[in-house]
Amino acid sequence: MELSFTVNGRPAALEVDAADTLLGVLRDRLRLTGTKEGCNEGECGACTVLVDGLPVDSCIYAAGAAAGRSVETVEGLSGDQLGAALQAAFISAGGVQCGFCTPGFITTLVAVLREDDKPSEDEVRRALAGNICRCTGYSQIVDAVAATVAGRVAG
Amino acid sequence: MTVIGERVPRADGQAKVSGEAVYGVDHEEPGMIWGALLRSPVSSGTITRLDTAPALAMPGVHAVITAADAPDAYAGWVLRDQRLFASDRVRYEGQPIAAVAAETLAQARAAAAAIVLDVEALPAVVDLEQAMTPDSPLVHPDWESYVPAAGPDFPRHGNVAAECIADPPGVDEAFARAYRVITDEFVAQRQYQAYIEPKSAVGIFRGGRYTVHTAHQFPFNVRDRVAQFLDVRPSAVRVVGHTIGGGFGAKLDAGLEPYAALLSRAAGGLPVKLVNTRTEDLLTCPSREGAITRIRSAVAADGTILARELEVIADNGACSGEMPWLAAIALHCARGVYQGGPTRVTARLVYTNTAPTGAFRGVNGTYLYHAVERHMDHIAAELTLDRRDYRLRLLFGDGEELLNGQVLHEAGILRQGFDALEALAPWADLEAGRRPYRGIGIGAAWWLTNPGPGSAVVSLREDGTAAVVTAANDNGSGAVSIGVTQIVAERLGIPPEDVFVTLPDTDIAGYDGGSQGSRTTRAVGKAALIAADEVVEKIKAVAAGLLEAAPDDLEVAEGSVRVKGAPGTRVPIAMVASTALNTVGPLQGTGSFVTPFPDFNPSCASGLLFPSFPTPTYHVHIAEVEVDPVTGTVRVLRYLVAQEVGRVISPDGTYGQVSGAVAQGIGYALHESLRIGEDGRYRERTLESYRLPLAVDIPRVEFVALEHPDPDGPYGAKGVAEGPVLLPAAVIANAVCDAIGRPLNSIPITPEEVLAAIQS
Repeated sequence: MELSFTVNGRPAALEVDAADTLLGVLRDRLRLTGTKEGCNEGECGACTVLVDGLPVDSCIYAAGAAAGRSVETVEGLSGDQLGAALQAAFISAGGVQCGFCTPGFITTLVAVLREDDKPSEDEVRRALAGNICRCTGYSQIVDAVAATVAGRVAG
Repeated sequence: MTVIGERVPRADGQAKVSGEAVYGVDHEEPGMIWGALLRSPVSSGTITRLDTAPALAMPGVHAVITAADAPDAYAGWVLRDQRLFASDRVRYEGQPIAAVAAETLAQARAAAAAIVLDVEALPAVVDLEQAMTPDSPLVHPDWESYVPAAGPDFPRHGNVAAECIADPPGVDEAFARAYRVITDEFVAQRQYQAYIEPKSAVGIFRGGRYTVHTAHQFPFNVRDRVAQFLDVRPSAVRVVGHTIGGGFGAKLDAGLEPYAALLSRAAGGLPVKLVNTRTEDLLTCPSREGAITRIRSAVAADGTILARELEVIADNGACSGEMPWLAAIALHCARGVYQGGPTRVTARLVYTNTAPTGAFRGVNGTYLYHAVERHMDHIAAELTLDRRDYRLRLLFGDGEELLNGQVLHEAGILRQGFDALEALAPWADLEAGRRPYRGIGIGAAWWLTNPGPGSAVVSLREDGTAAVVTAANDNGSGAVSIGVTQIVAERLGIPPEDVFVTLPDTDIAGYDGGSQGSRTTRAVGKAALIAADEVVEKIKAVAAGLLEAAPDDLEVAEGSVRVKGAPGTRVPIAMVASTALNTVGPLQGTGSFVTPFPDFNPSCASGLLFPSFPTPTYHVHIAEVEVDPVTGTVRVLRYLVAQEVGRVISPDGTYGQVSGAVAQGIGYALHESLRIGEDGRYRERTLESYRLPLAVDIPRVEFVALEHPDPDGPYGAKGVAEGPVLLPAAVIANAVCDAIGRPLNSIPITPEEVLAAIQS
């Protein structure tokens, strides 16, 4: 089937199979390898992208379902003011270690902070229930969110 | 102006947060095709039929290989007890039997599934006790023919793959005159490292050599293992490292690399890529071993430990990996931080028909300290002693001698750890905060910094920046991207962002002992510092001519060489580097470093493969927990760590290692269950059923760094990353038992077990 959608603000059109996942199309066809495959069953959150602004596990999201929608990946969020601020905060707060989960965290958190410009620490931790980080123990990721929120208030 | 101890952004940070970083799973080669493995569906059996013809007839298939196509070789890190493919016997679920290379991943997987395989199942050796009985089937009937990878053979027999025994005099006499004998048995399940990037490898056979691209903790170990499996000399294998999505010990030995290499050869030299599915990864990952630990202590009425016996039986799985080396760690933990009398230690590593076990952060120590610290609480309870006071009374001071004869010259740091946590969270206040279903636990440990060899070459470039060539790998900890980078920047007096460190390549860099045992910042940092020292001496020699000053009167700082006491008389190091090109040649230094093993008594035990612990560090932890009596779930309310670190090089890196290790320890204590069925197969097979800690499960760790700079470490650094995983299971288990007033001696402590204990 023909899939037409928007990826990071640019139109894309390609032939896909019914069994193709959005993750496979992004990584293997559009060469957007910043989005990662960690489990392929919607558990780890490394494949999180935004579809019409909502975070989804792209490994279990049918590519065809993205037709006509707007998809944002970590690559696109580098050009987004909030996304870039979060990325910088992840580095300065020590929220990145191996970094394999980081694109999924950034993506989820952009969605969270677009909806709520000052979430509590508890709200942030609960919002991250679909993203697993095995390296950091999460506290420095939470710190990165706090720094981003503080920067928005100040800026 | 110093960068040591400052908050420096990691060199690979921007690439990682933006999605630009190329991990092992992202790496591609021109003309690359894909591979897949056919793995054994059963834990024990005999292959009665293996027909690859249907796979060869499938679309897109380039090659299908089995044991018949592989060299007749045995491989292994410590003991050569593994073959590339099962040929007649299968010994664990997931063991490779055949491999396929095809145009696409889907075609490769379809072809692997089309191979006709019949396996006649045999009884699986699963139970550790039964495996050691004389009438147990042998996992390796040919065990006697196996040889060590290097050095003399070690004690092993039948299903016992390694054995370390210390039997000092006086143990039985002390038990005979004891006031009380306290006895415990502890059971620890396996733990999956569960890095988020699954294992992968790209193999290329070209010009008679194998090149393997992989995201790996220990590229030189991969080189050696691939060479063993493929029966070539190590220099016939080149391993190229890539950004790694976590490892925690599971990516220290070869995984998919030898299969990718041989598949490429079979496919006429086309690059072949293999990637584990998450289930393949979980099933075959060398997880942390399950173990049974038994401790008996002979105690006097005042709690003095007159003697102790510790027996540990650890699950090796179907082949050995790194494990035989590690059996001796029981000796180092059995009486490691508290005074006791003579201690008999028996550690056995047992073959079973299960997936091989291997290194995971804090090897062996997690369940050994769980056992020792739970046992300390048991003794204190029996003698109605305060648990903290009792520990302080027996706590090691400076100069204590261990069971292996090693002397801990700075063990008095342990008391500083207790004091530091007392200042943060007074024990009396914690005690006062106790109420039904809320409890506290405390424990202490010592650990090593891995001594393995490392090397680095530092070059000063003509624009005043520096390049560092090393095979050390940043496993995510920041040991290279922050630690080594900072150390070189500090020595050369340039900003950390002007230091560029290579990824590992065994053709380019000298030997490196891998990212293991908290060694990289200290060992590779030291090698890089030695190399930078050489560069500094050369800079001064060249600058002396430019500044018309004696080299000894010069100092290198802030991007310049300047005359001491006359900072206005200076020349930029970029100019020095450019000048040097045409006078003494490019400015370059080399450094190599290895830590010697501390002195020990070689006759203290048999099978002492890991004889002593270099560069000791000391650790004290406290946990406060709350138990939900309705659901049985445990919530960690507070978690405190005091840890000797030598010197903090990077505050963010140090805290990140402590916080991350505690999170893994909380998972080990409460959530992560990797059970083995009677058929030898894992029951948990995906991340849906293998429950990893989430952001809501982990409290913010309260951390105190204890700094006692190591004169041999770069700027005083010691290892940081492993120690903090040793004690969470111990202190959380103690806290849960305190909360419910009943002993729980298995980990993980699942809600079901908590409820059963409450209701008993």
